[in-house]
Amino acid sequence: MGSSSYLHLARPLAPAQISASTSTTAPCSVTIQPQALFSILDHASRRPADQERVIGTLLGTRSEDGTEVEIKNCYAVPHTETAEQVEVDMDYQKSMLQLHARAAPKEVLVGWYATSDELNTFSALIQNFYSQQGEGTWPHPAVHLTVSTIAGQDIAANTYISAPIGVTPERAADSCLFIPVPNEIKYGDAEKSGLELIAGARDREDRGQLLQTDIETLERSIEQVLEMLERVSNYVSNVLDEEAEPSSALGQFLMNTLALAPKVEPEQVERDFNNHIQDVLLVSYLANTIRTQIDLSNRLATAALTMGGEGKEGGEQKGGDRKREQRSGAGQRGQRAEQ
Amino acid sequence: MATAPDTTSPLSEVQIEALVVMRIIKHATSTFPTPATGFLVGTDIAPQLQVTNSFPLPAAPIDQAQADSYHQPDAATLATAAPRAKSNVPYQNEMIKLLREVNVDAQSVGWYMSTNMGNFISQSFVENQFFYQKASDEKSVALVFDVSRSSAGSLGLKAYRLSPVFMNAYKEGKFTSESIQKSKLRYQDILIELPIKVHNSHLLTSFLHQVPQAPPAKTALDFPSSLAELSRDPDVSSNPFAPNLDSLDLSIDPFLEKSCDLMLDSIENHQTEQNNFQYWQRALGREQQKITAWQQKRKAENAARAASKQPPLDENEWQKLFKLPTEPSRLEALLVGRQVEQYARQVDGFSATVSAKMFGVKGNLLPGEIE
Repeated sequence: MGSSSYLHLARPLAPAQISASTSTTAPCSVTIQPQALFSILDHASRRPADQERVIGTLLGTRSEDGTEVEIKNCYAVPHTETAEQVEVDMDYQKSMLQLHARAAPKEVLVGWYATSDELNTFSALIQNFYSQQGEGTWPHPAVHLTVSTIAGQDIAANTYISAPIGVTPERAADSCLFIPVPNEIKYGDAEKSGLELIAGARDREDRGQLLQTDIETLERSIEQVLEMLERVSNYVSNVLDEEAEPSSALGQFLMNTLALAPKVEPEQVERDFNNHIQDVLLVSYLANTIRTQIDLSNRLATAALTMGGEGKEGGEQKGGDRKREQRSGAGQRGQRAEQ
Repeated sequence: MATAPDTTSPLSEVQIEALVVMRIIKHATSTFPTPATGFLVGTDIAPQLQVTNSFPLPAAPIDQAQADSYHQPDAATLATAAPRAKSNVPYQNEMIKLLREVNVDAQSVGWYMSTNMGNFISQSFVENQFFYQKASDEKSVALVFDVSRSSAGSLGLKAYRLSPVFMNAYKEGKFTSESIQKSKLRYQDILIELPIKVHNSHLLTSFLHQVPQAPPAKTALDFPSSLAELSRDPDVSSNPFAPNLDSLDLSIDPFLEKSCDLMLDSIENHQTEQNNFQYWQRALGREQQKITAWQQKRKAENAARAASKQPPLDENEWQKLFKLPTEPSRLEALLVGRQVEQYARQVDGFSATVSAKMFGVKGNLLPGEIE
């Protein structure tokens, strides 16, 4: 998100006590997982009415050389801020960090977030707290993520790392230089299905969406593809009719895309189709047969007492049936393995 | 279950915040294939249960008293045992206490677990949900998230509760043929499925409207000058949240193979249960034969004693001498039944979508062959 062009500056030299360390000066690239962002937005909407911004701790993983940071999780930390002073609940931060470390040992402290894009003296104070030695992220730079949540304006996420600044140690404690670093939002395959559903609720009045079945999802996907095809073919026919402006790049792109269509013999398609559809239907048939058998078995078992010997006989005969079933199931698997 | 929710259930719908959906997905995929379990917090506004936050639970530590060198519990067992483990109670309380400080709803509304291909119905699952549901005025659900199915298309998230009939039976701990007959408990009635609704906050809605959505608006785009520029264009190359076209994927075999494997496992379990039961029946039959023989002997003895005017011996003494074997619990058999039903439904759903897709592909590649 945001613009993709960044100017990377080397971090200015730090005061002596820090520059002696192997602290990395390479710029970070930051990856944010959507759930961390969602969590921050949730926290922002739950903030106390009198507080402008809320802060929290970011958890995630860091690549070995410390240049890449992935923000995977976060939690809120209560703090109070007045014109003169800022208070962060350190005990809360510590105990929460411990609790999270128990459930997800791989995630470490990487920085902090605030729900306002303002960087002020207090930001510097908190930033220095998070990047300090001991409990902080030292020797790695702490990442500061700002998510602006002002009503009526776009939500913008920015990430920064900091460099110490100030001529004396006293001045250095409450000031630092924030350097913007590029960030992007990444998500995996499984998250995609979740995000799609969440995005589906975006245009609805009640901001809610019922879970859909597989077939409904499929239907929607097909509809979307059809719509896209329609648009492209409209455009192409418009170009042919000289009604729309042609573009050689787009034409090339379309050609490349069309070239991806596989060239297969009709017989091959026919054969593969038949094989696979048989597999699918057979497994479906078997699954339902097994279900019926198990149902029958359960009914017979509970009916056994009233029916005396008959129920028992039925149960045994059914056991035989099931074994046959099992064999054919195994045969079916073998058959597929051969393919 | 797809049937109408039981009217005696205090809840009719589960509303889940988008945050919780994402948290569960992230936790489940990071621990895959080991199941992940966690804790749900939220509020209930009858008849709706709102799940507003969640946090993962650490796996239950190995219980030293029960651990023996032969039976080392694996990671999966430990993870599924986590929601009811005693050691996690302080963890939960602590976490809830801390969450309350930052204005998060602090009411426990259940737990979640991840699964692979719907393979989640086990004693452990039932025990967990019973643990949460046994309080008298509870309102708690078990959310089950299917990792493998979600990567292949639509989100596999389900909410379950135990049915009242099953709760009663489980409370008594009796799963004999007699008690099942009396309560008319069928395996179909163990779980009640609740509909799930995903809900976004206002902030999130506005955020979602900002992130790139495909396809972009019809008018806004300028024509790219070259192919390279096209691939660099952030509007085109960025991967939007929707539409998700993964559900059009045509891979069939992994799913079928896995389904068959799981199904065979279930059949094996069923077979074991069946054998146990038959063993019990045979043992019972033998004991009963012995008792009848003993009773006849005692009768003959008593007849002899009566002839010689001696007082008769107690004819009911067999109750002390013989002990009838106890009937094995039928709980496992019920659960296997429910599990098979789950698989069968899953396969049904899969074959419905996949055959539609396959006919589509065939029609596309062999035009004119389908009337």
